[in-house]
Amino acid sequence: MLLALLAILIVVMLAAAVLALEHGKLLIGVIAAGLVSLIASVIYVILAAPDVAMTEAAIGSGLSTIMFLYVISRLKGDTHG
Amino acid sequence: MHILHMAGAITLLLGSIFLVLGALGVVRMPDSYNRIQAGTKATTLGTMLTMAGLGMLHPGWLPKLAILIFFIIITNPISSHVLAKVMHDLKIPVRAGAKNTPREEE
Amino acid sequence: MVKKAFAFTLILGMGLLFYQLYRQRSTSTDLNKTARYYVENGPKETGSANVVTSVVVTYRGLDTLGEVTILFVAASIIGFFLKNQRNRKLEGAPGETSELLHTGSVFLVPLIFLLGVYVFVNGHLSPGGGFQGGAIIASGTVLLFLADPSIGAGRGVIHVLESFSGMLYVGLAVAGLFLAGGFLDNRIMPLGHFGTLLSAGAIPVIYSLIGLKVGAELSSILYALKDAKE
Repeated sequence: MLLALLAILIVVMLAAAVLALEHGKLLIGVIAAGLVSLIASVIYVILAAPDVAMTEAAIGSGLSTIMFLYVISRLKGDTHG
Repeated sequence: MHILHMAGAITLLLGSIFLVLGALGVVRMPDSYNRIQAGTKATTLGTMLTMAGLGMLHPGWLPKLAILIFFIIITNPISSHVLAKVMHDLKIPVRAGAKNTPREEE
Repeated sequence: MVKKAFAFTLILGMGLLFYQLYRQRSTSTDLNKTARYYVENGPKETGSANVVTSVVVTYRGLDTLGEVTILFVAASIIGFFLKNQRNRKLEGAPGETSELLHTGSVFLVPLIFLLGVYVFVNGHLSPGGGFQGGAIIASGTVLLFLADPSIGAGRGVIHVLESFSGMLYVGLAVAGLFLAGGFLDNRIMPLGHFGTLLSAGAIPVIYSLIGLKVGAELSSILYALKDAKE
């Protein structure tokens, strides 16, 4: 049961990682990378590592996504004028 | 005790139905404004019902779940409002042929 | 096309390599020597209920100091490269924010900061600690910026807080050299009653300083990104 859940999570995570790499749009890539971190943090909780899971959720899927979005918005401003 | 258990299970089921409907709405709705409705309103109700059901199944968790519900009531409408406002500011078009489109500001 | 095929074969080969490793790996339920030492003696020696915290702050505290330093260097570099563009003031009000968001943030931001402080103050009792609490505080800062993009206050406070907590962290670590067993020894303060808030010697103090430092550093990165308008 637990293994099946882990397998599903890992498959979704891999799919999100491939999407993050291959999708042309930066925004969708950033959101997919955030999804990878989010699933990683869920896996950490299942594997009984709440400390690492908290770090991953807060920094990986929260802050770094926001910083990437900030940078993308700045880049957009540059390319437009 | 048994009745509480049943009620909790039914509430949990209702909540997950709303969550599934919300997810379906995000995929199926015709334009962005409609998708926001599905993605936030349905999930707000779904999450609240799920947590209420959990609270009936585990009465010991009730205080924490009540706090969670409280924060969801506050944060979900704010985020949906901000999303809608940004889309309006960016002038993302409403689906063609929709009735009652928002009036343009003078 | 050739490049893609090459990359694909490379990944496949790596996968095969790791699969072999995975097949040979036997799941061992007992801990190795170092881990057993930490689990058996950690709570006794450091007085911390969370073994992870006792490892992160005391046994491998030097590594944590290095991590905080890396974060500091990263924040400084981002600040340095974006500084040249800071001269330009934001012209006008950049898209007036809605009143709803503003009111909501007035209510939520203090609570988010409080949660961050709770997480790092209770680092030795429950999951979480300095890095997690610092990241939560920085996410509160993001909400603050979203609600009021023209906000400029607090930058000085952030820098003072960062320098102060960093210096105090190193100072406490050096104090361990003289007053207790070594660098970053937490027994410079009484260990207290196991499992209470004021226990585990200097661990709560050090972890709070780490939390403040991480929160201030991440917030200053966000400040630099926010100010680098165009």
